[in-house]
Amino acid sequence: MIALAHAVAIVLYLAAAGLAAIPFARPIRAPVRSVVWVLAAGIAIHAAALVQFVRIHDEPPLTGLGPALSFAALLVAITLLVVEVLAREVSLTLFAAPLAALLTGFASLAGMVPGPEANGMRGVWLTSHIALSFLGIAAFATAAAAGVMYLVERRELKSRRFGAIFRFFPPLETLDRVNHVAVVAGWLALTVGIGLASSYALEYRTGHAIKMVWAYSAWLAVTSLTIGRVVRGWRAHLSAMLTNVLFAGVVVLYIAFRVIDPLKGRFL
Amino acid sequence: MALILAGLSHHTAPIDVREKVAISSHETPRVLEELAQITRARELALLSTCNRTEVYVVEGDAPAAPGIWAHLSRRLGGSADAASYGYVRRDREAAAHLYRVASGLDSMILGEAQIHGQVRDAWEASRSTSRAILNRLFQSSLLVASRIRTETAVGRGAASVSSAAVQLAKKIFGSLSGRRAMVLGAGDMADIALECLVSEGVRTAVVANRTHERAVSLVERHGGEALRYEECWPRLADVDVLLCSTAAPHPIVERAQVEPAMRQRGDRPLCILDIALPRDVAADVGTLDNVFLYDLDDLRSVVANNIERRRQELPSAESVIAEEVELYWQWLAGLAAVPVLRTFRSRMDRVREDELAHALKKLAHLPADDRAAVDLFSRALMNKFLHEPSVRLRAASANGHGLAIVDALRYLFGLEPSDSEAPSDDAPNVESR
Repeated sequence: MIALAHAVAIVLYLAAAGLAAIPFARPIRAPVRSVVWVLAAGIAIHAAALVQFVRIHDEPPLTGLGPALSFAALLVAITLLVVEVLAREVSLTLFAAPLAALLTGFASLAGMVPGPEANGMRGVWLTSHIALSFLGIAAFATAAAAGVMYLVERRELKSRRFGAIFRFFPPLETLDRVNHVAVVAGWLALTVGIGLASSYALEYRTGHAIKMVWAYSAWLAVTSLTIGRVVRGWRAHLSAMLTNVLFAGVVVLYIAFRVIDPLKGRFL
Repeated sequence: MALILAGLSHHTAPIDVREKVAISSHETPRVLEELAQITRARELALLSTCNRTEVYVVEGDAPAAPGIWAHLSRRLGGSADAASYGYVRRDREAAAHLYRVASGLDSMILGEAQIHGQVRDAWEASRSTSRAILNRLFQSSLLVASRIRTETAVGRGAASVSSAAVQLAKKIFGSLSGRRAMVLGAGDMADIALECLVSEGVRTAVVANRTHERAVSLVERHGGEALRYEECWPRLADVDVLLCSTAAPHPIVERAQVEPAMRQRGDRPLCILDIALPRDVAADVGTLDNVFLYDLDDLRSVVANNIERRRQELPSAESVIAEEVELYWQWLAGLAAVPVLRTFRSRMDRVREDELAHALKKLAHLPADDRAAVDLFSRALMNKFLHEPSVRLRAASANGHGLAIVDALRYLFGLEPSDSEAPSDDAPNVESR
């Protein structure tokens, strides 16, 4: 049932992205309501799959590679839905919905089984840490998606090309605002999430070097962006570029650690 | 009797003809009165804009077009014949034409919205001579126009240079509300473009012009501060949109002036709209980071793209029109049954009254209440009998099958054709078409 629900969620995420791409094929506005409803349906089915996981395994889907990726995908989709509803703007779906579909697909391929450390490591502390950390990463991914769109549209505007991107991407100012809000939200969530993890590691004298290096790297990346935006007054172009560079760095680091990590079947 | 339209437009007549036959709003009542007398039409409506003069008519006993051409030819003067510049559309084609006009599909700038208001005004001005058929036609044309604007992209995107300038600025800043603009030059183009920007909420900061008085005049209309060229450069760092429209023969905005301003602006973008010819802004200004420079060719390119995309939406708009014309025609055809039904019911009512009077003579002993009850009974019984045939006749007429039934009704109940074809305000005979 979980695998089937994942498959349906993937289809709905991709369908939402397809609907958001309609303006590129026909000169009409994106069907905002339809995109929002299809995405919400995908989220509902995805959430049902994770609820089923909890009922089967009696623990949240936060440990183990498959469950963690699936949870991260759900958070990306929820973050996207929040942005869509607040901004009445669905072009971000073009990037973020396929990302959610991709993560869900990887989760299914990896298998929805809890990680080896799950037993004996439950509790609000650990659960909160993982949930907040994923939320922070999802916000970071959203900021990166907005940054990519900003750079693409800016390039089009600078080079005076007035094609589909000019017509259907939101204004540069809107993309910059999404990037700003998502960076700050990501920093808040990651700070609390990693703070909880650090105190947990100190309390129980446990920890995993690779995981800690990656987590602190991600936190440093988001923190530098937040300081740049909030304290140094970085705006638009510079911020979009750095968000993408740093997010790509975090993803590359994750892939590298996945390759060298001896512990299989975990997110890290 | 038919629904017809006779008129001329920018498709068929040059501007010197159109301007002579154009009818101003204060002339409209008099012209409608004259046309009503000439054409002996049952209903009349007049639509006159700078691009078209059209008369919509529900004909009476005589054809209306000759009278309309005679009137328009008089306005042309001399021996000119207005008919040679014009067109006549009948029935469904006339309805479809008005739907196209109201939706901007027949306009010079495809999909322009201004015509919607002009059609509404024309309808209002023709209320004295329009009745059920034209009222419904004009009302539905406005609804069709709204439907087309909502369901298709025919009206989407800027279709003029000034609105393209707004579209470009909005693509950078989102809302233009509260943004600051600087205008170099105070000619007509600057005036129009600035009016568009101000209507979007832009605050005019500075207007600079070689002739200070013209800058002052522009400021009086749109607000802001009038300066001389040499005074405006330090203010460049504060504005978001720079609109250039001077008559200078060489660029007056150089990289050396913009670069320091951009350093002061930090990472804030600056949108430069150069609508002057020759251009006011040196091309290398556009290479500066965060400067978005657009010239007249760019704005025209935006307009051309939008118009082309509007054109691609024409088939969708035409299918909406075809659908709505059919609905209108069904309604109109339903009206054809009205006079026959009216005659039929009045004939039956006379029979009822005769028979009731006859019966009440024999029942003279009954008290007044009982006599009233018998009267009520006879009315109710007749209404019951006639309800179903009336509904079915209307439905058959709406589906185009009413003529045979109307004939059968006439034959069976001995209704004289002249009874049912008597002139009526809301009963065209549309089935023969």
